[in-house]
This record gives sequence, structure tokens and C-alpha cells, in this order.
Amino acid sequence: MSRRAVCIAILVTLLLYAVPWWRWHSASDREAPKFRLNKSFDPIDRGLPRITEEFISGDPGSRTVHVSSICEMEDGRLVACWYGGTREGARDTAIYLAVRDPGMPGPWSAPREVVNRDSASRELRRYVKKLGNPLIFADSRNRLWLIYVTIAVGGWSGSSLNLKVSDDGGRNWTPSTRLTLSPFINVSELVRNNPVQMSDGSLAVPIYHEFLGKFPEILWVREEAGGFRVRKTRIAGGRSFTQPSIIARDPCCAAAFFRSCSDERAVGRATTMDAGTTWSEPQHLQLPNPDAAVNAFPISRGRILLALNESLRGRENLQLALSSDNGATWQRVARVEEDKGAEFSYPYMMQDSHGRIHLVYTWHRRRIKHVVFNEEWINLKLQGASG
Amino acid sequence: MSFAFSFLFPWLLALLMIQCVAVKVKKPPHGWRLTTILAVISGIIAFLPVGGLPLARWLVGINANFSFPLVAVVFNKAWEHASGSRLFDRQASMASWVFGLYSGLVLYPMALGLGGFDPYAFGWGFSWLFIILAMVTIAFLLIKNRFAAVLMACILGYDLNLLESQNLWDYVVDPFFVLFSFAALSNRLIRRMRKPFSD
Repeated sequence: MSRRAVCIAILVTLLLYAVPWWRWHSASDREAPKFRLNKSFDPIDRGLPRITEEFISGDPGSRTVHVSSICEMEDGRLVACWYGGTREGARDTAIYLAVRDPGMPGPWSAPREVVNRDSASRELRRYVKKLGNPLIFADSRNRLWLIYVTIAVGGWSGSSLNLKVSDDGGRNWTPSTRLTLSPFINVSELVRNNPVQMSDGSLAVPIYHEFLGKFPEILWVREEAGGFRVRKTRIAGGRSFTQPSIIARDPCCAAAFFRSCSDERAVGRATTMDAGTTWSEPQHLQLPNPDAAVNAFPISRGRILLALNESLRGRENLQLALSSDNGATWQRVARVEEDKGAEFSYPYMMQDSHGRIHLVYTWHRRRIKHVVFNEEWINLKLQGASG
Repeated sequence: MSFAFSFLFPWLLALLMIQCVAVKVKKPPHGWRLTTILAVISGIIAFLPVGGLPLARWLVGINANFSFPLVAVVFNKAWEHASGSRLFDRQASMASWVFGLYSGLVLYPMALGLGGFDPYAFGWGFSWLFIILAMVTIAFLLIKNRFAAVLMACILGYDLNLLESQNLWDYVVDPFFVLFSFAALSNRLIRRMRKPFSD
């Protein structure tokens, strides 16, 4: 190669690298976005403590259901989703969705299949062995997002994440988009808890990795012309914490709570002061955790509500706890479920536009239960506990 | 674009495998006429529908992001079978193996959870990774190492979004390339160690 050819090749190289530099330089999101805090509410039953319970999914016979999430559309409709099949990780597992029209009480619609392994395989144009954890949420433009797990090889450690969006409340969906988030043949990325809206319109979705390590991460998703731009950052490394649940206190500060998978069976917590860019080293709290999912949710006066299995071994109870100091210390609010040998797991909470808190969770692995209460009920329970 | 590009590696791999079989049965696949026929057969294999999916997409189900250096290694070997000449000379091969092994060692242990630092996060957007890779490419160009062309292809592919991944790391390294680099370097090291005794 002549000296002239080398010079031309160097110039071409610099031009090729100038393209991503220019994209980055001209991008509006070059500055790290801040957390967008939750909307204000319009309470319709202020002063009256309320709690109601119901099942979203009917009796599934011998089938199991698991990993539910719920969100509210702009018109007040509630949308819940979960996965169901003959057993966890079975090939007949599908993602189901049910809708409830505004105005409570009212029946939930019959569960409808949104994705199964055949449709996922068709949309992703590759082999899909089974499906798993779905997460549904509504964005600021009133569109539904569904992020769900597919597995081509192996068990949960072979998971990859996929994304679908619906403009019409879940009736029609875009084809699934595969998200590449791991350098090791894109496996071992899973999703569980509520996303956080960011100031630039992007979303911070808590995800986790479980292959050689088990650790919490954040998936940053931003919609761009013709698709989605994704990136991922780590909350912590190691093998001790998964399934982060992130609560933003102000535009920069947030706390994350983790399922513990170490020998120290206690809920983990880390904090950020720069909108999720860096995180403190996770610490164990004085809250037991039997290697089970927890879900945290911000409520009024800067308080955090946490749903957890308060046990060192099983998932036979479901407890609500409250913190007024960003998750450092906790007060027990109420035990929602307790039955020896049973399973009440994978809680997920959401607050609707009237301030009601919706808690959904797996009930005996057979049904998805929906409990609705308001903050007055929480306050009443706290008064009862202190009195 | 990335969907069409996803057929390239499976097609090249099928071609190389057929060529290797031909070598085994003592019918070296030299010559462009034969190579064209084998390439067409490989294409048919790659697009062959099995269970509703082209065979190539089954491989994509395992890994959708085969790195450019791995594609280059397979292409180089297929070219060698077809023409009898090498695109990668000894220096380029050595550079690719060292690059593959070093990249793998930098990326995978930390990306899979060793410590709190994740080098994979620097493959999105623009970061020090891009600057380092540009400098490595220029260094290879200055010493006239042909592996520089592969590194240039990596950033070109990234600019054109040829892979499903939006992360530059996936364009420059994958686990199969790291394994191949490790095997090739080990093989070379063992040969070197044996050489003084055989002399």
C-alpha cells in the first residue's frame, strides 16, 4: 500500500468515525435527562379509607399465571397484563391482556392473548422457544408499551427483551422489536418493575441481568424516527441483587429497591443523585426478602410504598411497608395476604388519576389478583399500628 | 437493512462448510466457476425454509449479531479455498486474533457482572471506545496491516446500522470470534513451543 493510499484510508476512517460523533453532537439528548415526577391526582374519595379486592383473571384450570403489571390510559381505562401457560417456562406460555373500562366497580374484560411464541417467532423472524415476564405501561402520549421476554435456548438466563407499542389501547400492536442489550449473544436481560418517565420524553425501564452475574440495570428507551434508540447502564454489579424498582423523589434523586439473591436475605437499596447516571453501592435494609420480587411506588408527601414478601424463606404472605425517608427506614402498613404454604408473589403497583393505588400480584400461581386502596386507607392502617 | 445483512454470515458459513467437505473428499474447491456454483448452493441452503423460517434465521435466533471480524475470518477462509490466495496475510491474522482475544478480555468479564463498571455501555452513542478504535485502526493503517480494513468495515457497518445491535461493541467482537481467536493463538503458541524440540 502506497503512502498516498494510507493517507486516503486514514481520512476515510476519520470520516467514518465523524458520523457517530456528529449524531451525538447534534442529538438533543446529549445532556443526561432528569426524572419526570408523577402527575398530580384528582382524588374522588378523599377522607374515606377504601380497599377493594377482585381477580382479574378467571380460574385457569390447570394453567398457571404469573408476573402481572397494570397501567391506566388517559381515558381512565385500566390495562393489565401477565403471562400464563401450563407451567412457568412452558412452550405454550402466552402474554395475556385484560382491560377495565372507567368507572368502578366494573368487570375486567376476558383475557386476550397479545403474543404467543408463534406470533413472536413470526414477528421477530427467528426461533422462539418460550415467552416470559411482560411489562405494560402507558407513555405520555397515551400509547401502550409492552416489553416482554423471549427465550431461544435454555432457561431464564437465555432471555432477551422485545418491545411492542399500541396506539389504540391494546387492540392492535406494532410487530415486536428485538432489543440488543447484552454483548454475550444478547442473552440474560429481563424486565419486571415500573418504568420512570424522563424529562426528554425517553423512558428509564428497570431491567436486570442474570447469567454469570445477577445485577440490576436501567434500559433507556427513546423513540426516534423509524424506531427506538436504546442504551443500558448498570446500577450495580455482582451476584446479589436483581429486579430493581426505581422511585424518583425529585428530578435528580431516586432510590432503587432490589430483590436479594444473596445469602443475606434482605431487600436491597441504592440511591442516585444524578438522575440514574451513577448509583451508590447497594445496602441491605432491615426488610426480609426470600429471593422474591419487590415493588416500590411513590405516594404523597415524598413517601414510598413497598410491596414485598416479608419472610426469609417463602412467598406465603404479601406485606405493604411505608417509608418517609427515601427508603432508609420502614413502617409496616398492612398484610394484604397470608396463607401458609401458598404463594403471593410479584407485586406491582400503580396510582391512577384519582389517586387510588392499584396492586396486582400472582395469587397461588393460578390467578392475578387486583387490590385497590387509597392513601386514606394507608393512613388509617398506620394510625392503627401506632395506636 | 439489518434483516438482509443477517443472511450474509450464515451464507458464508454454509459456503465454507461445503468447501471444507470438498477438501475432505479430496476435491479442492478451487476456481471461480466451482465457487460460484457452491455459493449458489450455499445461498439456497441459507434461504431454505425449515419450520416456517429460512435456515439462516435459525442461526440468527442463536446470535443476531455476528461481528465483522468473524465475518471477515470466514470470508477470508472461503476466499482462500476459492482462489488459493489469502486476503489476510500472517500479520493480519495475528492482529485479528490478538484483537479478538484482547477485546473479549476487556469486554466480557466486566459486561457479565464482574464489578460495577460496564464497558458495554460505552458502545452506545459516542465515547472513548470510538476514539480508541479509531486510533487502533489508524495505527494498523500506518503499519500497513490488512486487519485495518476489517476495523474500517466495523465502523462503516455501525454507521449504516447493518446489525440489529445499536452498540459498536457488537460490530467489533462476539463470543465466537473471541473463542476462535483464543483457539488460533493457543494453536500458534503450542506450535512455537514444540518447534525447538523438533529441530
